[in-house]
Amino acid sequence: MLKLDRVLSLFMASLVGLCLGFLFLVSLVQAAERPAKKPLRVIMIGAHPDDAEAKGAGTAALWVEAGAKVQLVAVTNGDAGHQSEGGGALARRRAAESRQSAEILGVSWRTLDFHDGELVPSLEVRKAVIRAIRQWQADIVISHRSNDYHPDHRYTGQVVQDAAYMVAVPNICPDTPRLERNPAFMYFQDDFQRPNPFRPDVIVAVDRVMDRKWRSIDAMTSQMYEWGPWISDYQGKVPAGADERLEFLKARWSSWLLSWAKNHMDLLAERYGKEQAARVRFAEAFELCEYGRQLSREKLWELFPK
Amino acid sequence: MSEQGKKPLRVIMIGAHPDDSEYYAGGTAALWAARGVEVQLVSLTNGDAGHHQKGGGALAGKRIEEAARSAEILGASSLVMDFHDGELEPALEVRKAVIRAIRNWQADIVISHRPYDYHPDHRYTSQVVQDAAFLVRVPNICPDVAPLEWNPVFLFFADSFRKPVPFQPDVIVDVGPVMDKKIRSFDAMECQVYEWLPWLDGILDSVPATKSEQLEWLWEQYAEHFERSAAQYTDLLAARYGAEHGAGVKYAEGFELCEYGSQPSREELWELFPK
Repeated sequence: MLKLDRVLSLFMASLVGLCLGFLFLVSLVQAAERPAKKPLRVIMIGAHPDDAEAKGAGTAALWVEAGAKVQLVAVTNGDAGHQSEGGGALARRRAAESRQSAEILGVSWRTLDFHDGELVPSLEVRKAVIRAIRQWQADIVISHRSNDYHPDHRYTGQVVQDAAYMVAVPNICPDTPRLERNPAFMYFQDDFQRPNPFRPDVIVAVDRVMDRKWRSIDAMTSQMYEWGPWISDYQGKVPAGADERLEFLKARWSSWLLSWAKNHMDLLAERYGKEQAARVRFAEAFELCEYGRQLSREKLWELFPK
Repeated sequence: MSEQGKKPLRVIMIGAHPDDSEYYAGGTAALWAARGVEVQLVSLTNGDAGHHQKGGGALAGKRIEEAARSAEILGASSLVMDFHDGELEPALEVRKAVIRAIRNWQADIVISHRPYDYHPDHRYTSQVVQDAAFLVRVPNICPDVAPLEWNPVFLFFADSFRKPVPFQPDVIVDVGPVMDKKIRSFDAMECQVYEWLPWLDGILDSVPATKSEQLEWLWEQYAEHFERSAAQYTDLLAARYGAEHGAGVKYAEGFELCEYGSQPSREELWELFPK
C-alpha cells in the first residue's frame, strides 16, 4: 500500500512537474514568437557604398533610435567610382568611409565585394544577397527599383527581387539557414517614369535626424567632394574647409532631397496630419514590392519609424 | 554638349542586325548626313543566322558588305560587330563593346531599340545600350578607351509594342524628301529584302526578277509602314512642322527620349534633329 502510495504520489508529483515544465516551455516559446518583444531587423541593400545612405539614412537613424537593428549593404565595393583612383585601393577607402558613415547613423555596414560598374544579375550575386538577408534575419529589406539610371542599381533591384521568395526556401543556399518568415521587400524612391513611376506606400519625415544624415553623407569624402563633382562638372567649385564643403554639399543636394517631401505631400499629410506635414522639409519615401510579405498599409506604417 | 556646338554633331545608331538602323532610321540618317552630321550605323550581331539557305561566316561576310553599301547610299559609316545573330545576351562583354563603340565615335546622340521589341537580339541590344548610358563617362570602366567628356542623348527607335508601355515619340522627322534613298539602302541588302525576309513571310514567289521591278516591289512592301508612322503621330508632326506641312507629311520616323543619359528639353532635342 505504502509502496503504491509513494509510487502514486511520486507519479502525481512528476506529472505536475511535467505539466508545469511544459507550461513554462510553452510560455517561453510564445515569448520568443511574439515579434513585438524582438527588435525589428532591417537591411537596406544599395548598389554602391553611399546609395542606401542617400536614400534611406534618415529612416535608418530613426529606426535605430526606436530600437530596430539596421544594416546597410553595398553590393559592389565601389572600386570604379573615382576619376583618378580605382581598384582595391579605392574599394578599401570607400569601405572605411562607409564604416564611419555607419557609425554616425548607429547601423551595421557590409559590402558584398562585387566590382563597381560591372554588376550583372547573375546567380552568384543573387546568392550573396540571399545569404546577406538571411544572416541579418531581416524583417524588412529595402533596395532599388529595377528602372533606376545606373545599371548597377537596376541589377541590384533585380537580384533583390530574385531573393524575395528564395530566402524562405531551404534547398537554396543550404549553407545558410532559411528565414522562417518572408520579409517585406520595399523600394527606395527614384524619379524615373518608365515603364512605371515610383509610388510610395510609406513616407518618413526625417528632419529630426537630418543633421545626422548630412554627416553620414559628408563622411563619403571620395564621393561627395571628389568623384561626384568631377562626373557632374563642378569639380573646381568644392570649398577646402570641412564646414564650408558640408554647407556646399547641402546646397548642392537640397533641391533633390527636398523634392521627395514635396512630391509626396499627400501621403505625408495622411501619415502625419496636414499641419505637421506642411512643416516637413526632408522626407524619405518607400514603395512596397509585390514580392515578399505583403503588409497592410496599417501594419506597414506601424513598422516604419515616425 | 555646349562645347560641341561648333563641331559637327556625331550620331551613332546601334541596331541588333545589319539592316535594323537602316530600317528604323535610314531617312533621318540621310537627312543628318546631308547636313554634315557624322552618322555611324552599328550592328551588334554579324547577322550570321539571317537566311534560310546560307549561314555562318559566309553569310556574315555578305551582310557586312551589304551593310557597307547601304550605309554609303545614306551617307553614313557602317560598323558590324561580331556577336552571333540570334544569340545575343546582355553580357558584360557586349556592354563593353558598346561602351567602346560610343566612345570611339565620340557620339553626341545614341539611338537604339526599346527593351520591349519582339526579337531577343533587339531587347538585349537595348539593354546593353541603356547599361552604357552612364558608364560611357566613367574612366574606370573600359580604361583602354578614353571616357566621353559629356553624356550623350540616348533615344529609342519606334516600335509598335504596347506592353509594359507603348512607344511615345518625343521627336518626329519628315523623311519624305529622302524616302527614295532609304528604299535604295534596303535594296542594297539583297540577301535580306529579296531572299530571307520574303522567305520568312512566305512571299518568296512574289519577288520580281529585274532590278527596276524589284525597287517598285520594295516600295510596295516597305513604304506603308512609314506612312503609318506619319498617320499615327500627326499631332507631333503638326507641332514640329506647323499644321500645313505637318498634315502633308507622308513618311515619318519617330524617336523617344530615353530617361538615362543627357536630358535635353523638347526644344533642344528638336534643334538637334534634322527637319
